[in-house]
Formats: sequence, C-alpha cells, structure tokens
Amino acid sequence: MTDGLWLWLDHKMRRAAPVVTVILSVIIGVLPWPLPYFGVVAPQLALTALYYWTLHRPDLFPASAAFAAGFLNDVLTGLPLGLSAFLYVGMRQVILVQRRFFAGHSFFMLWAGQALAVIGGMVMEWILLSLVRGQGGPFGLIALQILLTILVFPLPCWLMIWLQRMLLAVEV
Amino acid sequence: MMAQRFSFAILMMLSAILLILGRAQPQMVEGLRSHAIDIVAPVVDGIHRPILAVSNAADDLVHYFTLRSENEQLRAANAQMKEWQNAVASLQKENRELRGLLHFKTEPGLAYISARVIADTGGAFARGLIVTAGRQDGVREGMAATTGDGLIGTVTEVGEWSSRIVLITDLNSRIPVTISGSGDRAIVSGDNSPTPRLKFLPQDAVLSPGAVVVTSGHGGIFPPNLPVGNVVDHGHGQYSLIPAADLARLNYVRLVDFNLRGGAFNPVASRVSAEAHGRKN
Repeated sequence: MTDGLWLWLDHKMRRAAPVVTVILSVIIGVLPWPLPYFGVVAPQLALTALYYWTLHRPDLFPASAAFAAGFLNDVLTGLPLGLSAFLYVGMRQVILVQRRFFAGHSFFMLWAGQALAVIGGMVMEWILLSLVRGQGGPFGLIALQILLTILVFPLPCWLMIWLQRMLLAVEV
Repeated sequence: MMAQRFSFAILMMLSAILLILGRAQPQMVEGLRSHAIDIVAPVVDGIHRPILAVSNAADDLVHYFTLRSENEQLRAANAQMKEWQNAVASLQKENRELRGLLHFKTEPGLAYISARVIADTGGAFARGLIVTAGRQDGVREGMAATTGDGLIGTVTEVGEWSSRIVLITDLNSRIPVTISGSGDRAIVSGDNSPTPRLKFLPQDAVLSPGAVVVTSGHGGIFPPNLPVGNVVDHGHGQYSLIPAADLARLNYVRLVDFNLRGGAFNPVASRVSAEAHGRKN
C-alpha cells in the first residue's frame, strides 16, 4: 500500500518537472544576484525553459502552466498583470505549431529555434508594454538581454536535457 | 486537440481581460497583485537565503584580507567623526536656543522601517524590488525607500508581509528634486537605464557635473533634502543623474515615514505643473 503511494508520488513529481523548471526559472530571474547590474540584462531563462518543454514534452507543460508561469512573472516583476501570461500562452502555441520543424533535429537547429522564440517573445513583450503603458523602455537594453538569453542557451538546455533523461526517460 | 485549442483561447482571453482590468480598475488588480506577492514572497525568500549566505561568505572572505587597511581607515574616520560630533552637539544646542527664541514649530521626526530585499525585479522592462516588510510592519504606499547613501525609490504596493518598491531608475518613476547650490528644481525621470534623466529644468539652467541632487519635498510624498544622486552633463542642456545609492547591490533598505499625508505623488500632475512654470524637457 505504502509502496504504491510512493510510486504514485514519484510518478507525479517526475511529471511535474517541466512545470517546476519553468516556475523556478521565473523565480531565479528575479533573485537579487551579487553581480552589479546583472538584473538589468539577466537572461530570460523562463522563455528558454518554456521553449524547451513545449518542444519536448508539451503534454507535461499545458497552456494552463504557461499561464500560471506568466502570471507569476507579472506578479514578481511588476509588469502589467496579464502581459506575460498572454505572451507565454501565445508563445507556447506558436512553438507547438512549429514543433516538428525544431524538435528531434541537431542541437544547432534547437538553438536557432530558441533564438527565434526569444527574439519574437521579447519584441512582442516590448510592443505589448508600449501599448499598455505608452512606453516600452530603451530597446538597447532589451536587445542586450535577448543576446545574453541566446548566448547562454547551451547551459540551461544541457540541464533540461539531463532532467528529461533522469526524470522522464522511464516515465510512461 | 479541440480541448487544447479551447483552453488556449480561454487563457488568452483571461490574460487580455486582466490587462484591460489593470487599466480600467487599477486598484483592484494591484490589490490582487499584493495578495499574490504575499503568497509567493516566502518561496522567493527561501530560494534567496542560500544565495545571500554564499554572497555574505564571499564578502567576509574579501574583508578578511583587507582587514588591516580597513581598520586604519576606520580609525581615521572615527577620529574625524568625534570632531564632527562635538561640532554637531554645539550647533544643536545653539539651534534649540534659537528655535526657542523664535517659537519655531518643530516638524515631526522621521520614522524608519528596515526591510530585506528578496527580489530584484529587474530586467529591461521594469526596475523594482520586493522587500520583507508590509502593512503589519507599518509600511504604507508612497513611502520613500532609502539606503544610508540616499533615495532609491518609492513603495508602490503593500501586502501584509511584503511590499514592492519602484526604483528611481524605473520607466514610471518621477521624483521632484532640487539641485544643491543652484537651487534649480527638476524631475528625476527613470528610463530603465542605470542613469535616470533630469527633466523639466528651468530654460536657463546650467548644472555643474557632479552637483548633488536632493529631493525637493514638493508633491508631499518625500521628505526634503534626501540625497538622490549627482549630475552628469551630456551637453546641449541634457542632464542625467548617477544615483547616490548603489542600486546594483541592495540587500537591505530603509523605508521612511515622515508623517505627511499628502497622498501619492502624481507624476502627470507634476509634469503639467512643471510645464506651466516654463521649464524645459
């Protein structure tokens, strides 16, 4: 009986890995790191995590999870409530439609897809913010953040590949 | 597949409704955000603590190697402070006597609330902090947030145990200031970059680079004479400001209650007022 309960819990926890990864990426994105001005241009790890799991396990990262992660991002960053939620749900849908094109190919194809997703997502965020608040901020900083998010992609990608192999390889 | 499309459409609509509500009923949406921050803050705090511990340990290690020179500097500073202490005591006594002669009404003193930073809600789109002090600690909306070096921002949302501070570098931040020396008034206007701009200066204002900028106290939200930063001259009458406080390294902040009940500072009203007084952008 107890073994059954543990197995059930283990199964559920493994399947929660994609959602937990994206939520943790949102939280990590707002932590005060002891690096000067890192917060201004810190890579948007949440977008990378959202891209990776939508491509590889969309069944474990539903639209409701994208909405929750976006809502959390809005709450923590002070962006208008609903903005990141709108963006994350929309991005998930676009990535899902293009899934066959980017998933299961070479690493560089995966990287190119992430670059397109991050550029599209952040430019859209800037446009939406400009529409809602009347100004989106200096685009130079956003361009730098986009560049850093794309450049560091191999590291979070490696972590998520490892997570997928460790936690979800045996999962049915 | 059909269910997926349906949930996508519903969630996109829900997000759009939240965005529209945020414009139409900002107080309701901000209330929702304050509650949400209260719920999430302990989780963020829990994740932040180990990082803070490692950062503090690294700082301690660096201080250990510079202990000797730091000690000498502190001894020199302490000797200077003692001289200042004597001067201040004498001036305070003189001030009290003169105030007594003039029957001067003393302004209420400042009350400080200390809070720990648990989230630096940075990014290129907004500049703010979440701190571990809320309504239960006496925090109110509109309080000035400072460090020992100067003003860093304004409290904009208050939950029960946590609050949000919008930094002076945020795109939406507008702080009425005075330039020390010249006495020119201006508005410090954030643009999400590390150096906010000085706007609405008088037409003929010529500022010296490095001039100290302090809060003017106008608008009834900040106490006057809080240091904000130093002037940077970009030429052609364009000025910005290097914040007095190091906004890149904020672990603890002090929220200042100076007992004014002027309500929240209205940046739009200030802008209109500044324009009416013939100031330039």
